[in-house]
Amino acid sequence: MVMAEEKLWKCGKCKEDLVKKRTAFSYLGHTFSTEVMCCPKCGKVFIPKELAEGKMAAVEQELEDK
Amino acid sequence: MKIEEAASYTEKCFHGSPASCTCACPFHLDIRSLLEKVSKGKWASAYKLLRNETIFPVIVSALCDQPCSNHCQRTQIGDQAISIRDLEDACIRYVKKRKADAYNIPPKTAKVAVVGAGLAGLSCALNLARKKFQVTVFDKELGWGGSIRVHLRFKEFNEEISLMFSVAKADFQFKSEITSLAQLEEFDAIYIATGSGGDSFGLLESWDHELQTTSEKKVFLGGSLCGVSQMEGIAQGAQVSKVIEAYIQTGKASYINKENNFKECGRKLDHDGALSLARVEAKSTDGYSEAEAREEASRCLQCDCDKCLTSCEMLKRFGKAPQKMAIEVYTDTHVNPPLSTHTLARETYSCNLCGHCKSICPEAVDIGAMLQFSRTARFKDNSYPAALHDFWLREMDYAVSQGAFVSAPKGKKTCQYAFFPGCQLGASNPEHVLESYDFLNEHYDAGIFISCCGAPAFWAGDEERLGVHIEKLRQEWFEMGRPKLVFACATCENIFSMMLPEIKSISLYELLDRQSHVLSKCDLTEAVVFDPCAARDDDEMQSSVRRLADKADISLEELQEKNRCCGYGGLIRLANPSLYDEISQVRAEASEKPYIVYCANCREVFAARDKECAHVLDIVFGLSINASIPSLAKKRENSLELKKKLMREKWEMDFEAETHEWDKLSLIIGDELQKMMDQKLISSADLQEAIWLAEESGDKFYDESDGMSLCSMIKPVITYWVEYRKTGPDTYEVYSAYYHRMHFVKGE
Ligand code: SF4
Ligand code: SF4
Ligand SMILES: [Zn+2]
Repeated sequence: MVMAEEKLWKCGKCKEDLVKKRTAFSYLGHTFSTEVMCCPKCGKVFIPKELAEGKMAAVEQELEDK
Repeated sequence: MKIEEAASYTEKCFHGSPASCTCACPFHLDIRSLLEKVSKGKWASAYKLLRNETIFPVIVSALCDQPCSNHCQRTQIGDQAISIRDLEDACIRYVKKRKADAYNIPPKTAKVAVVGAGLAGLSCALNLARKKFQVTVFDKELGWGGSIRVHLRFKEFNEEISLMFSVAKADFQFKSEITSLAQLEEFDAIYIATGSGGDSFGLLESWDHELQTTSEKKVFLGGSLCGVSQMEGIAQGAQVSKVIEAYIQTGKASYINKENNFKECGRKLDHDGALSLARVEAKSTDGYSEAEAREEASRCLQCDCDKCLTSCEMLKRFGKAPQKMAIEVYTDTHVNPPLSTHTLARETYSCNLCGHCKSICPEAVDIGAMLQFSRTARFKDNSYPAALHDFWLREMDYAVSQGAFVSAPKGKKTCQYAFFPGCQLGASNPEHVLESYDFLNEHYDAGIFISCCGAPAFWAGDEERLGVHIEKLRQEWFEMGRPKLVFACATCENIFSMMLPEIKSISLYELLDRQSHVLSKCDLTEAVVFDPCAARDDDEMQSSVRRLADKADISLEELQEKNRCCGYGGLIRLANPSLYDEISQVRAEASEKPYIVYCANCREVFAARDKECAHVLDIVFGLSINASIPSLAKKRENSLELKKKLMREKWEMDFEAETHEWDKLSLIIGDELQKMMDQKLISSADLQEAIWLAEESGDKFYDESDGMSLCSMIKPVITYWVEYRKTGPDTYEVYSAYYHRMHFVKGE
């Protein structure tokens, strides 16, 4: 599979290249923020597989255990 | 929740409590630990333990009549009790230097008189002197020892007493007989231990056995004067020293009574697999050599119950004592998430709720029930990780709506029987339900009751959802004329008997067996029956399945352990994937023979591990065994097709399933990806929906260079992502699918 990072994803609606932006997430009553790729115009958040199954999954686990 | 509510589940657990020998010991000596030290040759720490708990180890090892030996659990397996006294003696002989011990604290001004320098008096005096009280001991004899002064080994005893008092100073007044308590007015407290038949100054009548107090506030009484043995006297002396200390400090005699800890002698261990070992006999008349002592000590079984903790994979993995878990069940609902941490979440959702722990516990402690209680409490408390159970709750919603079909036989309003196959049987293999219903329909006045029993709601701890659903089931059953329900799934049967005890039931397998029902001989010649955990208490179901296998000429062997959970129970798969894998692997490997199962979930768990496995219905109806397991989406389709077919063939009714615009999309999913999706419980139906929505709205990411698209679909609990490419009209090839549980916070 092609690494998400190397790909040239654009926002389907705005046709914009994605930019890094600090975004807030919440899970089980906890809120925290981290930098992820987003559409600069509409703000649609992009989550690659590596992030979802890596860091995000680890944080989810941790919060479930809290 | 009150802490008592949680604690009541493990109240009877005696894990970690004193061994039976310790309970019988007047000193409650921790014999388990002593023998462990001796077995390792740790003489110094063994001696220290012995001295701290028995006060005068030389005297005790010589004079104790070993009540512990009657309680040594070696005798339960036919061996001789461990020679504890000989081992105590070895500790004394092999410790490099016998030492006394005192507290390094400033002297106290309070004065205590001890009347009688026998064992009880000495024990009390020594303990108070070590705490630096001003202790005066009176005795009418020439020296200390009381009844042991005439013993053959008194010289040794005398040395030990001297040693102990060498670091704890007391004033000994020998040849001074106390004839009236008035002589002792200057003392803050008085302990009378004048020995068997000695003077009690008229206070014996008012003696309190527990605290050793008398009607005179500052006067205490004990030892053989009160009829106890020499050893009990020493133990009492040590105990009363604490009461006196409390009395001096607070004006009130009190003692933290640990006696309750020692009540139960814990003789309920069965010592499975313990080897019989003969008592080590000393070659020399002087007693054990070091090596002999170590060998004898290592005969100790280290009695403690850890049956559930070593048998259940979940408990083994987390390694927490049952009583500790109970406390955590309570504390987990009494914390504020951002500040404090739950400690039990993973365990709570990692339990198969299989009942195994209860079945092997000598006290029938039901940890599963406790963790079910924890799930319910967390659900109410809103500390329930919804993502762990969302998949199954959605499946349940589907099964009770689109998938459900409830009806008396054609042309009738009511019936005597109704077949309740459970939602998984038909989803997993529609033939199982079709054939079974054909059979029932032929032999009985049987309607059909296709629905979900509510287990997913129960396992999620969602009592409200379960309650509403159960009410619906009750209503439907009532409208069918209250038929006897025929169950193919033991879990369904359990949920019904728990929630709807008024409904009578019977197992499908029993009915099949009654009709001598085996149509065809099957390929299996030998097998073992893998009984589901839910059928643990259903002997009839268990034996019916065996009889059916027997009729198919399959030679059966029994598993060593029956009714272990295949891994599916309690829906732990998302909460603890690696534990789920471990359990399912251990179960699959419990025998090399093929399994005969009678639970659709067991079948799937084993089929996924390529374990040769047949559902008993395969055997009964001559269906192919080892059928592959359908994908998640295919299971839903199976349920609908089954319903359609049944309605058409048996009721001449049409059923049109609910359709969606995205149904027309066809997805190309490679085998690897499909396998991963099944593992992670990602259904291709959800991907269809996500792709359709993205393509309709353009709300997605895309890469012009290779034509790939990536879209997400946010469901209340889980956000799904799918990477895909269009390969034809309404056809998409899927490259990856994943999800996360957290949500973006809008407007940031
Ligand atoms: S089996 Fe488990 S719960 Fe039961 S007494 Fe033993 S340690 Fe305690
Ligand atoms: S119910 Fe089953 S999984 Fe849960 S603690 Fe008991 S034995 Fe372990
Ligand atoms: Zn955009």
